[in-house]
Amino acid sequence: MLGFILQRLWQALIVVIAMSALVFCGVYAVGNPIDVLISPDATQDIRAAVIAQYGLDQPLWHQYLSFVGRILQGDFGRSFVYNMPVSELILSRLPATLELTLAAVLFASLVGIPIGMYAGYKPHSPISRAIMAISILGFSVPTFWFGLMLIMVFAVQCGCMPAGGRGETVSLFGVDFSFLTGDGLAHLVLPALNLALFKFSLMIRLARAGTRELMLSDTVKFARAAGLSEFTVLSRHVLRLISIPLVTVFGLELGSTLAFAVVTETIFSWPGLGKLIIDSITSLDRPVMVAYLMFVALLFIVINLLVDLAYAALDPRLRKGRA
Amino acid sequence: MRDTPLSRFLVEFRRNKVAVAAALLVFVIVLIALIAPLVTPQNPYDLAHLVLRDARRPPGYIGTGRYTHWLGTDSQGRDLLSAIIYGLRISLQMGIIASGIALVIGAIVGCAAAYIGGRFESLAMRIVDLQLSFPAILLAFVIAAILGQGRYQLILALIFAQYAYFARTAHGAAAAERQKDYVEAALSIPLSSWRVVLAHILPNALPPLIVVATVQVASAISLEATLSFLGVGLPPTEPSLGMLIANGFQYLLSGRYWISIYPGLALIIFIVSLNLVGDQIRDQLNPRLRR
Amino acid sequence: MTDIVTRSAAPLLEVTDLRTWFPSGRGEVKAVDGVSFSIAPGEVLGLVGESGSGKSITGFSIIGLIDDPGRIVEGSIKLEGRELVGLPSHDLRAIRGKTISMVFQDPMMTLNPVLSIGTQIKLALEAHETIDAADARQRAITAVAQVRIAEPERKVDFFPHQFSGGMRQRVAIAIALLHRPKLIICDEPTTALDVSIQAEILAEMKELVSELGTALIWISHDLAIVSSIADRVAVMKSGNIVEIGPALGVLTRPQHEYTRALLDALPSRAKPGQLLLRGSGIADAPPPPRKSATANLPALGSPYLVIDNAVKRFEKPAGLFRNLAIKSGLSQPLTVVQAVAGVSLTVRRGEVLGLVGESGSGKSTLGRMAAGIIVPTSGTIRLNGQPVMSTGRAPKKITTRVQTIFQDPFSSLNGRMRIGDIITEGPLAHRLVNRAEAPDYVRQWLAAVGLDPTFANRFPHQFSGGQRQRIAIARALAMQPDVIVCDEPVASLDVSIQAQIINLLIRLRAELDLSLLFISHDLSVVRHLCDRVAIMYQGLIVEEGLAAAIYDNPQHDYTARLLAAVPVLPQGTETTAAE
Repeated sequence: MLGFILQRLWQALIVVIAMSALVFCGVYAVGNPIDVLISPDATQDIRAAVIAQYGLDQPLWHQYLSFVGRILQGDFGRSFVYNMPVSELILSRLPATLELTLAAVLFASLVGIPIGMYAGYKPHSPISRAIMAISILGFSVPTFWFGLMLIMVFAVQCGCMPAGGRGETVSLFGVDFSFLTGDGLAHLVLPALNLALFKFSLMIRLARAGTRELMLSDTVKFARAAGLSEFTVLSRHVLRLISIPLVTVFGLELGSTLAFAVVTETIFSWPGLGKLIIDSITSLDRPVMVAYLMFVALLFIVINLLVDLAYAALDPRLRKGRA
Repeated sequence: MRDTPLSRFLVEFRRNKVAVAAALLVFVIVLIALIAPLVTPQNPYDLAHLVLRDARRPPGYIGTGRYTHWLGTDSQGRDLLSAIIYGLRISLQMGIIASGIALVIGAIVGCAAAYIGGRFESLAMRIVDLQLSFPAILLAFVIAAILGQGRYQLILALIFAQYAYFARTAHGAAAAERQKDYVEAALSIPLSSWRVVLAHILPNALPPLIVVATVQVASAISLEATLSFLGVGLPPTEPSLGMLIANGFQYLLSGRYWISIYPGLALIIFIVSLNLVGDQIRDQLNPRLRR
Repeated sequence: MTDIVTRSAAPLLEVTDLRTWFPSGRGEVKAVDGVSFSIAPGEVLGLVGESGSGKSITGFSIIGLIDDPGRIVEGSIKLEGRELVGLPSHDLRAIRGKTISMVFQDPMMTLNPVLSIGTQIKLALEAHETIDAADARQRAITAVAQVRIAEPERKVDFFPHQFSGGMRQRVAIAIALLHRPKLIICDEPTTALDVSIQAEILAEMKELVSELGTALIWISHDLAIVSSIADRVAVMKSGNIVEIGPALGVLTRPQHEYTRALLDALPSRAKPGQLLLRGSGIADAPPPPRKSATANLPALGSPYLVIDNAVKRFEKPAGLFRNLAIKSGLSQPLTVVQAVAGVSLTVRRGEVLGLVGESGSGKSTLGRMAAGIIVPTSGTIRLNGQPVMSTGRAPKKITTRVQTIFQDPFSSLNGRMRIGDIITEGPLAHRLVNRAEAPDYVRQWLAAVGLDPTFANRFPHQFSGGQRQRIAIARALAMQPDVIVCDEPVASLDVSIQAQIINLLIRLRAELDLSLLFISHDLSVVRHLCDRVAIMYQGLIVEEGLAAAIYDNPQHDYTARLLAAVPVLPQGTETTAAE
């Protein structure tokens, strides 16, 4: 087990190094930050001074090392656009994104898995066919278009839901949350629904496929032959078995939901990280892009590690040294 | 009747009417996109034909061109139906080129890893796994941020985002086939490694790759639309479906719904059809659903 | 047909005119079509038949677990006078596991891999009674102890993967016995297990049912097993019972011709080397003349395929960090599996050498090394003095004189190739024939293995298991080999098909002067076919010698145990011997 964790940490380290080099080369070395930093009509002297100030006259590896050094000290530089430290900027936007992402993923799993299991349990019933139709639609509709439709129907046509911003927030432990107020919750519903749709459909499909296969398996047949009720078969045997692939996907999807929050945040003007990164790409705010990418890479590694551990916890076959 | 694995497959496929309808729809849509200039009333990129007076007209409007705009016109006076068909053409082009290249790269990496094994296999698959855990849309952002916007950048981003799925699938399928007795039988004759891989393993590992390909073409088109919508995809001179939807977004709130909705519907109909076809093939290939 | 109700007591279970059908694309598949029998309390009924005879579906019909879209269309199943057909599902559930329980074939698939044994037993207990956790655990320990699992207190917390196949089947039996059912249905419960484990489970099961007074339906394809446990035997064929009666009577004085044919197909009932089934199913076409040089072959009976001190280890390469972790003691060293631990064996030209062993003995690995499919870790394998595989970084098989026949004819043929291409692919690649001769060559070989020569354009899915195995034999022989490694070639076939393939091998071997390395777990098949026998156990050959000598007078303990574990049919009268 320890060897396994060490191996994973070792891989994580390689990924972080690779990612930092990639981001550095991509964002700093390929583009020329000078053109962004200085107005075109600046004199040669000013130009040279700025180049020296940012260390751009140093060889590439030297620049990379000082870049890594700064990151290790938590210094991601200052945003050109917002003129504030990037780390502060990201931390101030993080709670909104996390709130949105978690709401979406929890909805997708808690609702998607049970109805997916139902569809797999009775694959030929009309309800199951309807569930599958919804899931295949949800799987296919691009997130941004679904968001537009939500706004059009609920905010424009019927006017019953707000369509932009976080609404009223409450500060808890120094962090603002929307879901604690009625207004905030109302603001959260549409974006969360929008972001959840794809994962929701995915969970349905996975839960259905797993359940359908397992219902034909000898394990389920044997449980039935022992007189177990259908509910016990589903809740104790089937759910436990499909939870292994589901947890894996859940972890992976947590990451991609975080990434897709970009789309939802843009449409619903949700003041989170995604909106920040899109703005920074369009305004060429490099320090923000770098910090965001590094931050996301780190987050992914943590999620992956947790998924691996959860996997080992769920599947006794992976736990070694017991027999 | 000839009884081949393919004919058996088709007979089973034909039993699912929905999948057959979806397959037909895919075929028709691809065909229309291919012959776009012949079926559209207007070339939406020909600026000479665009009249600003016709802009943002509702479906059914008869404009200066003396023909009916069945789906209305967009903000620049383009016939929306024509714009959608041309947009579909661009989207399809991007999706098929990107997925096709990703398929080839993925199949080579996956099959090679499965056949060679050892350190090469574990290293290659580790990289693929890492990339799989990294969402495609972020990868596309990174590439857009590094290389800027454009058709080739986008294709590169899509290939990068997708080859890992193909490699994973090809590796899984090839590794499973590698274990089977018919491969051992071929080795025992003996046949050359090339022959074993190309004539035995690859044809048997292909069906799952085809399933992934249908899904990936659909997701490439969706991803391209999303990126274009966010403004980091194709340049505005090549209006794909995503761009059309994005352009219509600002008019959505003022009630001119058609500019965004119809391109979206076209996109969804195509993606849903592709996914339905892919689902049916996947179910047919799943040995655990047969008894 | 003689349906004798032997006991005066009221029957426990009475099945009358049972029909279970499965609707399919082309009408109904009548899996069970008019089966009637009854069982008295405490009686053991053997239900025998080949695959597709409907014996398992009969079992599943009784317990009410027929897969969709199958259903009971007619007939009645009465348990102590209570009609089960048409009972609401919750009433049926109350009977399942409580009054009737079932044990399945493959113990690797039946238990839930992610729940501990104790939890699975607890769930089965809770299905029929309310019980608290401490009691449930105690009952689980008792149940596990009852099926002879050592250290039950510790073992209830184990997960299925920590048990061997035999142990898992014992756990499944423990679960089936939990509520002291009046009837247990065992569907081929020992088929997936080794002979020695099979013998243990058979003995224990016999003891348990007589101890508890439980009636038992033992479903099997193996007449010998059934004869060793059943009071009465029912023989099934295409959904019907063709013969039912006391076990000894049915097996020694069979009334129905099908029962007789089944008995005739058994190699254990015939003299070694004799054609089975009175020689039926033998094709007359001779194999095509061989073109490869026969000039420098050694005489029949002299050493030919020589395996010298072959070792095969399987190990996983460790990554850099894993290596460091192992060295610093943070991680367990990787387990290295030594499948073959230094074996020397000689196949003489023209002989059939049987290689016998249980699963995990390394016999298949040894066979694959002999066939040049995998490289030995050390040691040499030579054919007529020449190595079978090249040496160097990427060893390749360099001879075509050794060919292979595999166990499973469904996976050994590439489903995407036509039969003709499957057979000629090798000969064309090695220029034994040219493109122009190929079609004729295929036809000759198809005829030689007893298949219609026009089959060349078909695909494997159009053939049955027995036909596929003939195609696999044709593919191997078309390379014009001198030695064939046969890896369990009849293990997955029904007895009557098995008999035909054995006949085919006997005939072709004689006509082509073939040497066979015949790998099998089935001692009676080996006895029938082989001149000499080698017994393999834990990667080593423990005994080797003439077949008759080993079977009559085993020297090694393991051989003796193995032979004792084989179930034996009661010696009959009207068999092939009577010819």
